[in-house]
Amino acid sequence: MSVAPMPDPEEFGRNPRQGLSGRQKKQIVRSVQVILILIATFIMLVPIAWIFLAAFKNHLDVYTLKIFFKPTLENFSLVFQEPYTLGEKLVNSTIVAFFTVLFAIPIATMAAYSFSRFRLVGETAMLVTILATQFVPAVVIILPFFVMFRDVGLLDTRLGLILVNLAIVMPFAIWMIKGFIDGIPLDTEEAAMVDGSSRAQVIRNIVLPMAAPGLLTAGIFCFIIAWNEFLFALILTNKDAVTLPIGLALFKAEEGDLWNLLSAAGIIIMVPMFVLALLIRKYFVQGMTMGAVR
Amino acid sequence: MAEVILKNLTKRWGDFIGVDDQSLSIADREFLVLLGPSGCGKTTTMRMIAGLEEPTSGEIWIGDRKVNDDLPKDRDVAMVFQNYGLYPHMTIFDNIAYPLKVRGTPKSEIAPRVEKAAAQVELSQFLDRKPKALSGGQRQRVALARAIVRTPKVFLMDEPLSNLDAKLRVTMRAELKHLSRELKITTVYVTHDQIEAMTLADRVAVMKNGVIQQLGTPDEIYNDPANLFVAGFIGSPAMNLINGSIQNGHFVTTGGTRLVPVEAADRASVVLGVRADDMRVSEAGEGDIDVRIYAFENTGEATLLTVQWGKQRVIAKGDRHLRKDQDDVVSISLNHDHLYLFDPDSGNRIAG
Amino acid sequence: MRDSTLKYLLVAPAVLVVFATAIWPLIESLRLSFTVGRLNRPDSLNQYLGWENFTWAFTQEPAFWNSVWVTAIYTVLTVGLTTVLALGLALLLAPGGKFRSGVQTLLILPFAMSPALIGVSFRFMFNPEFGLFDAFFGVMIPPLADVSWLSDPVLAFAVCVMADVWGWIPFLTLVLIGGLASVPQDTIEAAQVDGASGWRVFRDVTLPQLAPVLAVVIILKSIFSLKTFDQIFMLTNGGPGTATQTLSHYIYFNGMKYGQIGYAASVAWLMVIPMIFLTYAYAKYVFRKE
Repeated sequence: MSVAPMPDPEEFGRNPRQGLSGRQKKQIVRSVQVILILIATFIMLVPIAWIFLAAFKNHLDVYTLKIFFKPTLENFSLVFQEPYTLGEKLVNSTIVAFFTVLFAIPIATMAAYSFSRFRLVGETAMLVTILATQFVPAVVIILPFFVMFRDVGLLDTRLGLILVNLAIVMPFAIWMIKGFIDGIPLDTEEAAMVDGSSRAQVIRNIVLPMAAPGLLTAGIFCFIIAWNEFLFALILTNKDAVTLPIGLALFKAEEGDLWNLLSAAGIIIMVPMFVLALLIRKYFVQGMTMGAVR
Repeated sequence: MAEVILKNLTKRWGDFIGVDDQSLSIADREFLVLLGPSGCGKTTTMRMIAGLEEPTSGEIWIGDRKVNDDLPKDRDVAMVFQNYGLYPHMTIFDNIAYPLKVRGTPKSEIAPRVEKAAAQVELSQFLDRKPKALSGGQRQRVALARAIVRTPKVFLMDEPLSNLDAKLRVTMRAELKHLSRELKITTVYVTHDQIEAMTLADRVAVMKNGVIQQLGTPDEIYNDPANLFVAGFIGSPAMNLINGSIQNGHFVTTGGTRLVPVEAADRASVVLGVRADDMRVSEAGEGDIDVRIYAFENTGEATLLTVQWGKQRVIAKGDRHLRKDQDDVVSISLNHDHLYLFDPDSGNRIAG
Repeated sequence: MRDSTLKYLLVAPAVLVVFATAIWPLIESLRLSFTVGRLNRPDSLNQYLGWENFTWAFTQEPAFWNSVWVTAIYTVLTVGLTTVLALGLALLLAPGGKFRSGVQTLLILPFAMSPALIGVSFRFMFNPEFGLFDAFFGVMIPPLADVSWLSDPVLAFAVCVMADVWGWIPFLTLVLIGGLASVPQDTIEAAQVDGASGWRVFRDVTLPQLAPVLAVVIILKSIFSLKTFDQIFMLTNGGPGTATQTLSHYIYFNGMKYGQIGYAASVAWLMVIPMIFLTYAYAKYVFRKE
């Protein structure tokens, strides 16, 4: 191998530039970045952590700023008793969210498949409308619903809530599932049809299994939305069909809010959602922006 | 002065070693090509010279300065990226002007220099367009113009031609060669295409698995390969490598055919290397050995005969007017001056 | 069955649901906005008034203008602050690696909290006696130590903005991280080699290429800010007085508490107008050709 003799570093002396080298500057910047990230993370998590702490404090400690205290579980049992009966609200929330998803996903999937695979007359108009309904403020829609529900007796019913939740959830469901189906290559379907399957069989045997993770994700996303839904539940329910988020408003006493109970209720609302959200974290951005950001 | 010197350069990610303790000295104004298959470490080496990758250990010197701790912007190098790295939101003029603008060149100087660089790559009429309006070849020339608009100490080029179609690649290669002669700046060029290496380089460093296998001029690499890898990598079609042994001063194939006299000691196993164009094709019975044709290909400028040689297959180059068919028998003669012998275990060259 | 029929059949249920649950209410709302519309007098829902509800809002109702003003400032502040902070956080978290991805995962948590819950949580923390943030700010900025945040119009407004920004930063950050990842690494490295310092690379190369994603983020956040209700309701309920009464809250109050559905519907429809522009802008990004 022909390699020239190495130059002797001593000959050339040290680097003449004064001050910090490029690498040293990089290291300082990196440390500052880590500190900033830690601060930001702390700020983002403190409110959640604080509620967690409060839920385990008894009704005296909760009015203090103590971080170390004797934890108690009594709040959790209290909220399920009279007069708060969080248990009922929990059942209502679960039923409403569950059935909303149960109706929404199949309907959305059918439409999503059609939008994805076919060209329809007025397709863009339909998609834009579906998109636009998501941006309509809930207050605009709620007023006629209140009147109509009052007239047909759907006020304060779970069925009523399910119907209105469908309104909120459908656009997300359609767009998310469409995104997933768009990502499934056409080849497999076309091969199956050449082999003799009908379109319906193809959907059942090929597309659905492949899109299953996407359907599950969309389902979970919609469940979270329905579970946290507030305004419709506030206006359309009274006693029987009250859901968890509205239940929060009950924890008022004469002296003020019962924060320990409120926090415990808050945890019951939050924790299932944390778990579900972590499950679908990969698809969060896609879902919320409905395809504008990939 | 703009030599580039690498001293014991190593790059490791966890357990994977990308570049393994390599040293290399590139002379001022030399055009050095780093050649090798994907994953051999050539791009990593170049990125370390640019400052886009930090070495795990070792030193990098550009000119009389150790640049290990310098940011890319302070190393005074220019780089042409494989995917060009053009700024899509700027016009071609602004793209080429950017290096000047960012280093504080006075406005009055920028325009003439940009125009000169654009003229050198024949893009003068595209200066107010945006990259997406240009073809692949044109974009590549913009990347080139952006590199030559300054006079850096070193040019770095990362497979600049590999995204072009075959015909364009040939024309751009000639243009690159012409430009590099005119500009006379130290250049490090990375590619996996051995023809580019052969035609453009002053010297070639053939790399495999993070280690330089051989460093030499194109002539040396072609005619004097240091090991099996280099021999098999350079040349198209690839050099024929035949297994056998040396007995009584002759090379004998594993099938037992006594082939040619060689100037090496007897040994039990050896690999004989001979290029396709060092084998002469003649009618049966006239040459060193008779063989049956496995496949006959006519490339237009020559014919390639893949012949069955006992259990091995070998490619010989024939005259472009030769016409033969599958299963015909022909005779092959080896050019005794251009034979190479390799040790099968280490891959190193023995003699020949 | 032929594809040509099937495809419309597949879409039909969804279109029906959307029509029944969203389009119909919108139209009915519009109709109601032209009526007297008192909840306690059912026949008033068919008593037509022409444009009176609208003119009343514009000329006779300072509370209406108050809520317009509140909503406008609230939107500008929350969109601006959230975008800038989210961009900063995205830049910090984009490079990747275990530490940073771990933080990204943690960011999902605040987002899974419903706005109502965020409202409650912040009300708890700004309580003048035992609120954590109240104590914290009291220490940091002594003049604020004895103040009751939620009783002061300006401070209550500030708390609402803070709660909103806190709740939305995670989502916007995640979107922007995705956006940053889509900026080709080549262009950034080319700028570094060309001689640009970190800040210049960001300004000249990263930001212009991030512009489409930023636009989406700003439009989306603007829409969400304009709509905001849950959080305000649980945090301040529009108070003190009407200092934090956004349009949504104003509509709710007039429609449900005062029973003036016709009037509320008219204001609601006024709200739809900026939404149309924003939706149009957003749709352009959704339907852009790759």
